Amino acid sequence: MSGLRIQAQHLRKQFRQSANGVLITAIEQLDFVIEPGEIVAVVGSTGCGKSSLFDVMIGLQAPTAGRLLIGDREPYRDFNGFRGLIATVFQQDRLMPWRSSLDNVCLPLELIGLAPDEQHRRARGWLERLGLAAFTDAYPHELSGGMRQRVAIARAFVLQPAILLADESFGHLDEVTAAELRETFVALARECGSTAVLITHQLEEAMSVGDRVLVFAKPATVLADIRVADWPAERRGELREAIQLTLQSNRCDERIARLAVQQPADAVIEQLGARDKHEQSDQAIKANGR
Amino acid sequence: MRPSAAAEVVISGGGWRLPREAIIALLVLLVLWELASRNAAVLGVPAFAIPSLERIAKSLITVTWVDVVVTVARVLGALLCSFALAALIAIWMYCVPRVERYAYPLVRLLMAVPVISWILFAVLWFKHVEFRIGFVLVAVCGPLFLVDMLSSMKGVSKELRDMIHSFRPSTSQLFRKLMLPAILPALLTSWKINLSLAIRVVTIAELVGAVTGMGHQLSVAQELFSVADVFAWTLVLVAVLFALEAVLNQIEARVLRWRV
Repeated sequence: MSGLRIQAQHLRKQFRQSANGVLITAIEQLDFVIEPGEIVAVVGSTGCGKSSLFDVMIGLQAPTAGRLLIGDREPYRDFNGFRGLIATVFQQDRLMPWRSSLDNVCLPLELIGLAPDEQHRRARGWLERLGLAAFTDAYPHELSGGMRQRVAIARAFVLQPAILLADESFGHLDEVTAAELRETFVALARECGSTAVLITHQLEEAMSVGDRVLVFAKPATVLADIRVADWPAERRGELREAIQLTLQSNRCDERIARLAVQQPADAVIEQLGARDKHEQSDQAIKANGR
Repeated sequence: MRPSAAAEVVISGGGWRLPREAIIALLVLLVLWELASRNAAVLGVPAFAIPSLERIAKSLITVTWVDVVVTVARVLGALLCSFALAALIAIWMYCVPRVERYAYPLVRLLMAVPVISWILFAVLWFKHVEFRIGFVLVAVCGPLFLVDMLSSMKGVSKELRDMIHSFRPSTSQLFRKLMLPAILPALLTSWKINLSLAIRVVTIAELVGAVTGMGHQLSVAQELFSVADVFAWTLVLVAVLFALEAVLNQIEARVLRWRV
């Protein structure tokens, strides 16, 4: 199945804390477009709203304001309309402990009502592709962390979904396993033609998997939208440094702004100027308050 | 691993083997009982109060199996009804939080009513004996099933719920594919607890208001001052409970074979 376009339009997400009723803004305002078949990594510091965006994209949470469109529909409002179109790989494998590897991979196919024989054929095929042919009958507790995550990846790909979402899916694995799985994930996503969004806090991961890297401020707004191909291999160190500075200062590094993808540099600088003014006015209010 | 823990593993693993310690403890108890029976006069107890093992064995031979079957049928029938009713209400309460907010206090209220009160209500409200016994069992076991089911459904990990929701299941698929298997261990534990409770409750209910069943036979034995018969029926009750628990253990070992 070919990928679908993902578009965030003035997307905002707020939560009210159940303990004290305080309103928390997880997503300030998000505007971005991810084209069909693109692989985009989202980076940001802890608590910057990456996972809230993930929940909105899956359709588990409704936006407070604005819209998130997949194709031309909203996954929250048209929840069942996306059955079989979206698949996810979570931070933890989230395998059902009572199901064997094969049955875990069959789950999404059972939910779309595929015939059992066809379910097993497809699930076996994906487990084989992910090097787990000998472990189809193994229960999750009999597998290593890396193998369990492979099963989770097979469970996502077995649908050959239009949209693939991965939320820090490789961060808890050792470096070698994580690199290997990342590579497999990207290769399979390209092969399926799915639009893939990988949420991560690891810059190396973001730069190595994505066609683009979206850098989020806290709360989430797009600080930088980087096309990785614009940064040749010898400048990757510089890119890494620029993203780090962007994250630390909560403003787009000039080196990135010059090569911004969707927003011309002038617009970015203008935006930064507006932010500066906004911050100055906040400081003035605080100072007056004191 | 401690020896007792090792024994537990053997039993829970499905390959049931009576541990040596249990056999020794039972033999010691039987020997002590027989000694007490033979020396009742020395202990200052009437001889009929501690019948010999031989006398109890004779009473066991005269046990009427139809009463055993009747009691077991009442227990299983009432437990199945309680379970079905509790499952429907628990799912409703889980799906509609407002229903839970209204119904839960009532369930807690029902759970606080003593068994003997339920028996008296049953005698006062209903004519039919079977209905009385069924009512008491459902009133006592139903709320327990419901509370166990509801709390175990709420305890299903958010991670797994989000995972399956991301694949967009129907409500029926959600319960069949996730909820039921996830709460199965808790349900089986609930069945074991309710089974033991139901055997005790049905005995009291039969003792008070029935003309068949093991509880009724206990009542007859008491009227005849036959302590040996009381012991024989008590042993049968315990054996029935153990047998039913063994069946549940077998089911548990089979359906929860995925557990470490």
